[in-house]
Amino acid sequence: MISGPIIDIAFFVFAAGSIVAGYRVFKTDSMVRAAFYLLASFAAVGGIMVLLGAEFLGMVLILMMAGEMLVMAIVMVMFMMNPAGLNPMVMVHQNRVAAIAGVVAFLALAGVAVLGDFPDNPAPTPAAATEELGVELLGDSMLVFQTAGVTLLTAMIGAVVIAGRRGRYGVAEDGSVEPSLQPDEEDAT
Amino acid sequence: MNAAAPLEVALLAVAVALGVGVYAVAVTDGLVARIVAGDAIRPGAAFLAPVRTAAWLLTQTRTSTERPDAAGWALAPALLAGLAVFALTMVPLGPGLVVADPDTGFVAFSAAIAFVMIAVFLHGWSPNSTFSLIGAYRYGAQALSFQIPFLLAMLATALPAESLSIVRIVEAQEPLWNVVRQPLGLPIYLVVGLAVSFWGPLNLPDGSDLAGGTSAEDAGIAGLLWAVARSSMLVAVAAMGAAGFLGGWYGPLLPGPVWMIVKTVVLLGAIVLAGHLFARVRIQAFVLVSWVILIPLALLNIFVSGAFLL
Repeated sequence: MISGPIIDIAFFVFAAGSIVAGYRVFKTDSMVRAAFYLLASFAAVGGIMVLLGAEFLGMVLILMMAGEMLVMAIVMVMFMMNPAGLNPMVMVHQNRVAAIAGVVAFLALAGVAVLGDFPDNPAPTPAAATEELGVELLGDSMLVFQTAGVTLLTAMIGAVVIAGRRGRYGVAEDGSVEPSLQPDEEDAT
Repeated sequence: MNAAAPLEVALLAVAVALGVGVYAVAVTDGLVARIVAGDAIRPGAAFLAPVRTAAWLLTQTRTSTERPDAAGWALAPALLAGLAVFALTMVPLGPGLVVADPDTGFVAFSAAIAFVMIAVFLHGWSPNSTFSLIGAYRYGAQALSFQIPFLLAMLATALPAESLSIVRIVEAQEPLWNVVRQPLGLPIYLVVGLAVSFWGPLNLPDGSDLAGGTSAEDAGIAGLLWAVARSSMLVAVAAMGAAGFLGGWYGPLLPGPVWMIVKTVVLLGAIVLAGHLFARVRIQAFVLVSWVILIPLALLNIFVSGAFLL
């Protein structure tokens, strides 16, 4: 294991990277770019988790986020009628509510960090941590995780049925009428 | 257990493996193309061909598109090449000859493979151009389909090792290679490996039917960097296949690293040959086969391997 100042430097690089990328999510003008910045932010958090000895969780976070952010980017582009997500658009709205929520969340988390009483146990080795996680997933918490898993699977099957060719709105090829360019005009179907 | 090689030696080995591997892929690709076409083979020309292509690309004028995402466009080849290097640092190239052997090496390697889709999508999205964007969407569909069969096929190799460390996965193959123990594993891995490195019949994002797909707008050094990054990923995938299924450095008579090279070259050769012998697959067909055939087969592979270990 590497230790000492390299770990500290790596932590600050990841932490700064995560914050800057997270800030850029809201300052950029493209949904796809925002998704990639969010991914960078999450990947940096994954790096911090690896530094903390949670190797498996950190790596799995990075692994899962790659696919999830890509799906998110593509779905956002599809829903927003913004070809390829390259048309400039503002990524923030409801500014006052968002600002209040942000400040409250920051104060709450900072309060926990400053006032909380953290245990001072040495972290288990990564191999032991991975094994503990596996025993937990297939042991005491098995019912919880399996219930969540089956629920998610049901949701996915439902989403596929709705999005499929013979979905909620009839056969896909018959539908897909473009919205009218005139605001007041009824949809010419 | 073998004594671990120093970090510098292991890093050098990765650099040499990537450099020689990328060049070998380019040479073999040209040679196989001539053999398949029935042309005369001129070894001298075949060895010089990649250098000629590189020199030609280096002298080409760089082009740009209207309102591209310049940062993303420049980042994509670097990201893909970086992922190939990261993936290869997890693969033991010989007994003890590995840059990093974390207990979760398999997960780290998979994370690199998952990030390939970000690199390819970024590369196709950032030029703000139709054909390259279609290529990017194609790879999105392709990547989301191969991700699960890839993870399942690789996960089966971790069962006999009882560990996610790639060195342990290789060591567990000393009595019997995984290609024998799990006959379904390597074929699934090779199909998925073709898809990961978008090569040959599964070169859908960069296919010539899309005028080059994600690299349609690349010219000059950008095209060269992307080609090198792509081949690097192929080398990493082949090396991992050799370590995970063909017993890594184990073999009679020859020293470990030589066996590793031989096995990697065999897999690279098979992939390059497949690129010239099979027609390009349509993306719909690949997505269907991934979800309907490869995932059940990979699950069967895990169940059977697990049952044998009980």
